[in-house]
Amino acid sequence: MMTSTADQMEDIVSRGYEHGFVTDIETDVIPPGLSEDVIRFISRRKNEPEWVLDYRLKAYRHWLTMDSPKWSSVHYPPIDHQAISYFAAPKKKEGPKSLDEVDPELLATYEKLGIPIEEQKALAGVAVDAVFDSVSVATTFRESLAEAGVIFCSISEAAQEHPELLKAYLGSVVPHTDNYYAALNAAVFTDGTFVYIPKGVRCPMELSTYFRINAQNTGQFERTLIVADEDSYVSYLEGCTAPMRDENQLHAAVVELVAMRDAQIKYSTVQNWYPGDENGKGGIYNFVTKRGDCRGDRSKISWTQVETGSAITWKYPSCILRGNDSVGEFYSVAVTRGKQQADTGTKMIHLGENTTSTIVSKGISAGEGQQAYRGLVRMAQRAENARNHTQCDSLLIGDRCAAHTYPYIEVKNPTAKVEHEATTSKIGEDQLFYCRSRGLSEEDAVSLIVNGFCKEIFNELPMEFAVEAQKLLAISLEGAVG
Amino acid sequence: MSVVEAAGTDLHRIVASGKWPAAAGKVPIEWLGAIRERGAALASNLPIPDRKLEAWRYTPIGFLTKALYQPVLEGPFDAVQVSDVDELFLDGTDNIRLVFVNGYLATALCSNIVHADGVELRSLGGSMGEPSDELRDKLDQVADKRHVFAALNSALMSDGALIHVSANVTEKRPIELLHISLGLEQPPMCHPRHLIVLESGASAEVIERYCAIGDGAYFNNALIEVSLGAGSRLRHVRSQEESAKAQHLSDLHVRLGTESRYALTSVALGSAWSRTDIRVKFAGEGAHAELDGLILARDRQLNDVHLSVHHDVPNCTSRETFKGILDGKGKLVFDGYIHVAQDAQKTDAVLANDNLMLSRSAEVDTKPQLEIYADDVKCSHGTTVGELDQDMLFYLRSRGIPLARARQMLCQGFAEEVFGRIVGTPLYDRIRRLLAARLYETE
Amino acid sequence: MMLSVKNLQAEVDGKEILKGLDLEVGAGEVHAIMGPNGSGKSTLAHVLAGRDGYEVTQGSASMDGTDLLELEPEERAALGLFLAFQYPVELPGVNNTHFLKEAYNAQRRGRGESELDSVSFLRLIREKMEMVSMKPELLKRPVNAGFSGGEKKRNEILQMALFEPKLAILDETDSGLDIDALRTVSDGVNALRSPARSIVVVTHYQRLLDYIEPDHVHVLAGGRIVRSGDKTLAKELERRGYGWLSEQGEAA
Repeated sequence: MMTSTADQMEDIVSRGYEHGFVTDIETDVIPPGLSEDVIRFISRRKNEPEWVLDYRLKAYRHWLTMDSPKWSSVHYPPIDHQAISYFAAPKKKEGPKSLDEVDPELLATYEKLGIPIEEQKALAGVAVDAVFDSVSVATTFRESLAEAGVIFCSISEAAQEHPELLKAYLGSVVPHTDNYYAALNAAVFTDGTFVYIPKGVRCPMELSTYFRINAQNTGQFERTLIVADEDSYVSYLEGCTAPMRDENQLHAAVVELVAMRDAQIKYSTVQNWYPGDENGKGGIYNFVTKRGDCRGDRSKISWTQVETGSAITWKYPSCILRGNDSVGEFYSVAVTRGKQQADTGTKMIHLGENTTSTIVSKGISAGEGQQAYRGLVRMAQRAENARNHTQCDSLLIGDRCAAHTYPYIEVKNPTAKVEHEATTSKIGEDQLFYCRSRGLSEEDAVSLIVNGFCKEIFNELPMEFAVEAQKLLAISLEGAVG
Repeated sequence: MSVVEAAGTDLHRIVASGKWPAAAGKVPIEWLGAIRERGAALASNLPIPDRKLEAWRYTPIGFLTKALYQPVLEGPFDAVQVSDVDELFLDGTDNIRLVFVNGYLATALCSNIVHADGVELRSLGGSMGEPSDELRDKLDQVADKRHVFAALNSALMSDGALIHVSANVTEKRPIELLHISLGLEQPPMCHPRHLIVLESGASAEVIERYCAIGDGAYFNNALIEVSLGAGSRLRHVRSQEESAKAQHLSDLHVRLGTESRYALTSVALGSAWSRTDIRVKFAGEGAHAELDGLILARDRQLNDVHLSVHHDVPNCTSRETFKGILDGKGKLVFDGYIHVAQDAQKTDAVLANDNLMLSRSAEVDTKPQLEIYADDVKCSHGTTVGELDQDMLFYLRSRGIPLARARQMLCQGFAEEVFGRIVGTPLYDRIRRLLAARLYETE
Repeated sequence: MMLSVKNLQAEVDGKEILKGLDLEVGAGEVHAIMGPNGSGKSTLAHVLAGRDGYEVTQGSASMDGTDLLELEPEERAALGLFLAFQYPVELPGVNNTHFLKEAYNAQRRGRGESELDSVSFLRLIREKMEMVSMKPELLKRPVNAGFSGGEKKRNEILQMALFEPKLAILDETDSGLDIDALRTVSDGVNALRSPARSIVVVTHYQRLLDYIEPDHVHVLAGGRIVRSGDKTLAKELERRGYGWLSEQGEAA
């Protein structure tokens, strides 16, 4: 029985990537290479104010002094940053004034990905910003959001239309000096999403961005900034896909969240970048810095992620719990199969009193997948009565995969309470047998058990995403999981 | 400045002259030459620990540059008499007791040294007779990975016990290795070195203690190797009761053969700065290790335990339970690492680390880790940090016990779960007393 | 009066639970306090024993003329107040005998009496163990850790037998007990009835009162005593439930 399971698991593991097509669209790509001139070019192309260019150049000069980090457990050959093109945009004469002007090829691409951008077909209650290679190509439902006072636009537009807001918050959570890839992003970020929820506003719909890498030899360096002003609420979703290409592509994004007093931000990600083929050829390097700042009292930031794609995933969506009674959450499912590697987790920095954080991380490794949970819980000296509970579970499928857990716990306040638990196991033979004796096929049984393993996380996702995530998980493990 | 220099030891000069530390009246121990040279070479090449090295991230070693340590190149210290140290002896035991003063065997202080059949007891310094080839061949073979201090120990090891228990022999009397340190004007740096070899089916108990006369400053840098043959059993009790100004570093390496059993109870109460590395390696199937530790950090103490357990073969089990108590400005570091190799199917490992924080200025940094390359395993770890439980305190107080006493009882109870493993022994009583005194003092 | 509670008002986390409770318990009397869930029964028990987190906003509570509310929990214990917990707390690593001896001697010290030596204490505790039919090995274990529900409750009654309090409050002592355990525990309590000892039995069900027969029964609802009577009141409650009384309580 075990052998057949293993074989079936192999099948699933080797199953193809569904979003691997390439859109045939004329693209403006600048030649590979990085220099101050390239940065000036990007800034000029985007018609940015002077201060943005200065910010980029400052970040670039700092980046030049840094070395790429070596501490994680992921392995990859050195990246030649001069071989990457830092700007690629679908060719167009003028920016689209409305969705009608968006290139039909592009709309068809998103359609094919299952993301309808045309408003009449759009998912009810979800506003979408579509980012294609380096630029935002379409943002839906802008008028209805504007009525509520919500700003939802590309970061390039924000630089034009809301410079004061952008200037106040850009880089305030993830400074350009933060780490190697954050510095690189600050220098060359091309587009991304800006969200501002005014005081007392509950954003009337889910906001979402779909990222698509299409062009060859390009990197994607988007930047997302969400500011929830006092007593506001927003739920934000992010999805990612890329074509199958033989070379590795770099995705080095930065996401900054700011939650003021009594504000709440819920940030969900379904990441399905191209993972490379079964021999580990190609795939996205997903090196992302995500951080939320609970600045005000009683604010709350919740990260939920389902990570099934990318050759290498390397990210730690974190919360700085500055305000008293603020809350941070991290819910994660990560699947690695084939030759995928993931080093992911979170940091919960408790600064304020009565701050609480919850970490639930579920890792599934199959094939030769390598996975690590890496996390930090820090209770600062004045974090009176702070609480953390962490649960990390790993499920191993097959005997060539690996799962690691590296939690760091630093406590300087005696009234703080930290609890951390981690387990590693495989799918129990008795569980499998029980399901099969009740008439389930082995494949269904495994799928059932894995879904049960991840249920806690899926419950945190908005409905549409939960369904998508569940499907994605099934596809990721199909055949692999008998 | 290298660690070697910082430690006040002109290593290169020693290497050049060939004048190694040696017990008095003896020629330098020839057969150790190769090991010393290897150690010296390694010590010169290994990096000086700093906080950029993951294994030393939370463990500052700034003291090394503040005090100039004096290597103890000669022994023994005959001036120390039984009457000076008998308060450190455990009453009412028939322990085979080897006493080391500042790293050298002090024959006059030893007791119950009789040579039973199948039990070979030697000292590295040679004063207990020439060690057999079995012992010589095993020395320095168990310790695989080591940091610069361990390498330094290999280069400069002064004296220590060499214990060999033959196949199917049981030594019923515990073998006690009592280290007594005396601070001198220039703090001495001692390098005790022990080797414990149990052949297949053998069984023994070793008690390893680190104590001090007076409250002087010194640096103990010990290395212990344990090799367990198939089906052998070792009970290993360690108690670190160093002086409040001492630096204590010990490096314990254990290698478990097929179906062997190793039980460790480790208590660390003393010293200003203490670092213990415990490295347990499963080399044969069906073996089991039970590792328990109690760590106290109070005043300005830094107490660090790095535990790494390597499940390299299938069907082994391990239980790790380490508890920390923090008080005053104490800082406690716990790093517990479990590694399961690809072939080590059916491994079952459970690590628990619970920490009790009694003070507002204490700090605990704990890092339990799992690194797993096999799929059919059951591994888990759990960590908690918190203060005394309010419900428990109220329960005790509602029974008439005053708050201060209730707190002590709960701390004792917390600690008891570890050192309760040696209940009924004179050492148990002693640790209980020491712990009570230390927890009272800070009230 | 052994226990005299007047207009007692108390809050937990800013929420008012006791809203003016009056209760008088004479020496040697057994009183039962009954009431629906959430009526404030356990709060009363905890306020009297001095638990943190309960804020008394009004009223008084005294035992034998001494103001209880001024005292630390351990001082109340030394005075002769005993609370048998609904959920006895587990104390891992704290040996049961050691705990009992510490508590016993602390109470004696608190009263200015001499302490008992280990030998006399062991003799005493063995005698008390027999009285509540407790297995001797439970003395060697950590307090309540790994005890069954029945063993925990028995351990509470053992303590009552040992400390010989003037006033014992039994908080839901019957909860989680099967019928045999209930009988043993009740037998223990009955054996401790004496003219010098008052007992307050806090319970949701009438069942326990079949075994420990009260002199007075009070119904607590909405943070107040809404009705008092003799043991027949308990029977009536069993028949009619609490509904009719709690409505009265809200209205009152």
